[in-house]
Amino acid sequence: MAETHRPPEQFTLRLRRYDPESGDAPYWDEHTIELEPHRSVLEGILQAKAKFDGSIGIRCSCRAAICGSCGVRINGEPGLACHTHLDHARAYAKDGVIEVEPMGNMPVIKDMIVDMDAVHWKKVKRVTPWLLNEGPQPEREHIVPRESMVDITQTMACIQCGACVSDCLAMEVDPGFIGPAALAKAYRFVGDPRDEEQRERLIDLSQDPLGIYDCTHCFKCVQACPKDVNPMGQIMRLRRIAGSDQKIVDQNNGHRHEETITTLIKGYGLLHEAEMLPRSYGGNSWFGKFHPAAGKELLSSLPVVLRALVKRKVNPKIAMFGHKIPRQDLNAVKKIYEKVESRPTRYELNLYVTGYDEDVEEPVASVVAGNAQSVPQSTEGSTN
Amino acid sequence: MKVAYWPGCVSRGFTPELHGSMAKVAPLLDIELVELDRANCCGCGVIAEHNQELADTLNARTFALAQQVQGAELMMNICSTCQGAQSECQERLDANAQYRAHVNETLAGEGLSYEKGLTNKNFLWLLVEEIGLDKLRSMVKRPLTNLKVGPFYGCYIVRPRNRLGIDSENQRDQYLERLIDALGGTVIEYAGMRKCCGFPIITMNKEASLKQAGMHLGDALDADADCLVTPCPLCHLNLDMQQPLAEKVVGRELQMPVLHLPQLVGLALGLEPKELGMSRHVVKPTSVIDWSSAVVGAAA
Amino acid sequence: MPAHDVLIIGAGLAGQRAALAAAQGGADVAIVSKVHPVRSHSVAAAGGINAAINVADDWRSHAYDTVKGSDFLGDQDAIEIMCSQAPKEVMHLEHIGVTFHRNDSGELDLRAFGGASMKRTAYVADITGQAILHVLYEQLMKHHEQVTRYEEWFVTSLLQDENGCCCGVIARDVRSGQMDVLGAKNVILACGGAGQVYSPTTNALIVTGDGIAQAYRVGAPLMDMEMIQYHPTTLVENGLLITEGARGEGAVLLNSEGERFMEKYAPNKMELASRDVVSRAEQTEILEGRGVGARKDGIYLDITKVPRKRTLEALREIVNIGKDFAGVDITREPIMIRPGQHYIMGGVKTDVNGATSIEGLYAAGEVACVSVHGGNRLGANSLLDTLIFGRRAGEHAAARAAQMAMPQIPQARLGEDMAMIDAIIARPHTGRRVSEIKQELGETMNKYVAVYRDEEGLRTAHETVRRLKDESGSAYVDDRGTVFNQDVLGAIELGYMLDSAEAIVVSAIERKESRGAQFRTDFPERDDEQWLKHIDITTSADGAGGPQVSYSPVTITQWQPEERKY
Repeated sequence: MAETHRPPEQFTLRLRRYDPESGDAPYWDEHTIELEPHRSVLEGILQAKAKFDGSIGIRCSCRAAICGSCGVRINGEPGLACHTHLDHARAYAKDGVIEVEPMGNMPVIKDMIVDMDAVHWKKVKRVTPWLLNEGPQPEREHIVPRESMVDITQTMACIQCGACVSDCLAMEVDPGFIGPAALAKAYRFVGDPRDEEQRERLIDLSQDPLGIYDCTHCFKCVQACPKDVNPMGQIMRLRRIAGSDQKIVDQNNGHRHEETITTLIKGYGLLHEAEMLPRSYGGNSWFGKFHPAAGKELLSSLPVVLRALVKRKVNPKIAMFGHKIPRQDLNAVKKIYEKVESRPTRYELNLYVTGYDEDVEEPVASVVAGNAQSVPQSTEGSTN
Repeated sequence: MKVAYWPGCVSRGFTPELHGSMAKVAPLLDIELVELDRANCCGCGVIAEHNQELADTLNARTFALAQQVQGAELMMNICSTCQGAQSECQERLDANAQYRAHVNETLAGEGLSYEKGLTNKNFLWLLVEEIGLDKLRSMVKRPLTNLKVGPFYGCYIVRPRNRLGIDSENQRDQYLERLIDALGGTVIEYAGMRKCCGFPIITMNKEASLKQAGMHLGDALDADADCLVTPCPLCHLNLDMQQPLAEKVVGRELQMPVLHLPQLVGLALGLEPKELGMSRHVVKPTSVIDWSSAVVGAAA
Repeated sequence: MPAHDVLIIGAGLAGQRAALAAAQGGADVAIVSKVHPVRSHSVAAAGGINAAINVADDWRSHAYDTVKGSDFLGDQDAIEIMCSQAPKEVMHLEHIGVTFHRNDSGELDLRAFGGASMKRTAYVADITGQAILHVLYEQLMKHHEQVTRYEEWFVTSLLQDENGCCCGVIARDVRSGQMDVLGAKNVILACGGAGQVYSPTTNALIVTGDGIAQAYRVGAPLMDMEMIQYHPTTLVENGLLITEGARGEGAVLLNSEGERFMEKYAPNKMELASRDVVSRAEQTEILEGRGVGARKDGIYLDITKVPRKRTLEALREIVNIGKDFAGVDITREPIMIRPGQHYIMGGVKTDVNGATSIEGLYAAGEVACVSVHGGNRLGANSLLDTLIFGRRAGEHAAARAAQMAMPQIPQARLGEDMAMIDAIIARPHTGRRVSEIKQELGETMNKYVAVYRDEEGLRTAHETVRRLKDESGSAYVDDRGTVFNQDVLGAIELGYMLDSAEAIVVSAIERKESRGAQFRTDFPERDDEQWLKHIDITTSADGAGGPQVSYSPVTITQWQPEERKY
């Protein structure tokens, strides 16, 4: 247990400093602090601030990963300073020195403090971040399914720390992208049975070129989030609801692209890349490639395709007719499609709501009154 | 070792040199490939955007087919995207027995059933964890001395860490560097090595997509890489096939060859660039071919 | 100079609720917060919010439980208002979007909490405070035209006009370092308690008694300041909170003998007795040598009694806190906790509309003392307090604003406060560091003004606080910049903390009995004859004479004091 006190150790922090009033460029500043290894990087910074240099700038408040103030990059990875153990951070440091920098994708104000209003909050405001239910309210509470509220608690649990925004790879090349935090916030309303304008929200987020179809599916936000909000997963749910359930066809080829791949795999069992592009642009049929929008796109891609053909990179036969799995297997795949797609409502397992099977197992250890020996005592700190 | 081999779609479609080079390399590493030629596309994350149960069922079918291969130690793939998309489905299937039963009911028509706990490893993981880098080092015929190789992982094989079993014990997000080193090459680190190639949005936001590809290629070029190596054929499409267009978007000449993982391994095991299908790349891997002839020349 | 009808200091639950209510009342509203509103400490409230919404429940039962929890020091008129208005307030929150968890019928689910005679705590997993705070902020974004937000602005002083009415504040834009006068017809203090006076504490680093000290300095009385709540379950190492919701869901407390010792102290309610009772029981076990851990200074909280699936769904946050901050999987093994400073029942004395004795100055939430909590606050009554009295203060202030013109706002103080900040920055590095003084203060308070107190310890604490006040006059800072100079604001906060600490200590010395959270080992009995009254603290007219003590009566409506048993 945690009571196994590990003695304090020395840790060296390399902090990215920037003083906007000095006119100097950002620089690195090192401090060596002494704390128990499982204390947080934030506690390390606060010790440096208290003992050596009070001018170190970092937003912080709760120390317990709930207020969302201390989003930074530690050894290049976004996260909360209070939520990262010193020993863990040191293990991932390149040269044994823990590097702490301000978050990315947002302008730096001072040291590790970034301008969240200019990016993060602006994007949150973009998604109409309040419940839309203007009609008369019930006398008591709205009656809604139990699971629905557990479900949106996942996105409600977002602490607006900006870690996901910091390293969003779509935003890096396309700063206008609404981004992971704001789109997760959008799901909080789309998934809320009390909201009355879900379809309008979905149309808005699908049609915006910087909306749900601008996500590159890179998992950066999933990894960055300290609260298990799974922003990219929420974006994919928005796509499913917009595309599969609400049949919203967007101007960004998002829904067409998804329908195309889904249909091609039904028809071939494998991805038929040569059909993918034209159909995504022109419409999801073999004729799609003759659609003017597809024609234009094909024309611009023609040099690439021709070059690939000339280099025999692409087998002309496969380019024309695609590759297929054996007929009997293709039939099996089609049957899977028919069965799953004919369900009256689309079924979706949400592990956040259901938990994992091992979660329901009985506890392995429990303290029996009068028998203190059964309290598990581990000799090693099991912090992680 | 015998593996149930899932080559994926793209390795047999737009990047046939990947499938071909894997077939050439496998016997040299004593890997017996039992190709899952009845299996279907993993859905590359896109089917899951359409219908999660459909994606899970299609992949459960592949897993069930893999589990039927007699004597196979595990399932192996050669595509980061397949790895990521399949791991995501497997996470749900393994987490919940009720859901697994529900999915298996759909597969029952074909007499298939997925049992919890399949091991599915990308070729990269298999090289490091099953064959071992020390053994691999001893098998190298032609060390990649002086060849400067930049790793490009592909998002699906490095994130999220929990799902992919990456932690301080299993540093799967460092394997490419270790592998290049074991093959005798020089590792070139650059900003984009674990970033997104841009492929998933090529049809939605072409400009941003190509900007991503162009940026990473440019970073690798600035870091003085001779070539990149990737375990992901979809990344290969954006980095190699789309490179001429990416050059236009970022406004600079790139000419950065991008190798598939088995091609790089094959090179070190003594195979020639041509038999590894390198001539099929859009960006001619001149630097690699030159390196190869120089090594052969020096040996002669 | 901007001026508003209603200016609210602090953007936690009380402040945001006040802002929305005042806007609803037609006022031009502004809200000032030294941190971004969603960083406010209300975000850390975990377990839930009490309201008699079950059809089998009655607000009078809730009120009686609250009166009993307060050890009969709470004012019953205020308690009646809070408890009778609670169901409507919770429904309002539900309507604007709070994602309260449901039962299988889709109605609000309720969980058990300490000191309550039935399940009446509505909750969102164990992030109830965060969920409500974020939903209120959604509403502030929605009503941005009616409510101006000064986010990351730090208040240095309250302003009074020539009649002594509060008419605005001096504040510093933390980002630019610019100082300004923000004028107002009414000011509502909603800036939380003073937990950082203690070390360790469950409270966030921003909880530094700002509003308590600001009101005290302009002459408003503070009340019940001796009543400091130690929460029974805080992590031994760093003082972080483990929600009472854990015990509400069935977790038990065990000593080194493996005994469920609460049987001895509260045979009926056991772990769900009121917090003062449970904390005292734990402290007794530790003092008598039955603590756990290497230093025998902890108690085991055993959550493995709760079905694992339920823990993972309803107590997600403490599963993470256990894992991330103590290295313990609470679903598999007990976790070591002990009582830790958590809440101050006292604060700026107000009436049931949040009005202080200073015209135009209101207070609501932890900064205020209505007093609904008296000697001890029940778990899940604090969120309720912030929302009910935040709303009432907002409504009242808006109504007052509608009937008056903008007062003449004195500007002289702006220059004084700017000079004060310049002087702090210019201090030579010869005195002590601000951080050192803060640390000594925290440790002193936690040693002498804790679960058990006596005259001698309290006197020691008072002497220490006086000395630290002197030392703070020359305490130096490192940062000489203007942009985000957190260092200089820390020095100002230290002053707020020392004023709050002194009021706490003086009140604790004054109350020569044991009631609620105040347990005097030298006066171990409750003494209704002498001490069924509030202790009020005001600053002496010139500020130099130190705190002045006076008394005010406890309002009793229908529940006469009786012996308290759980």
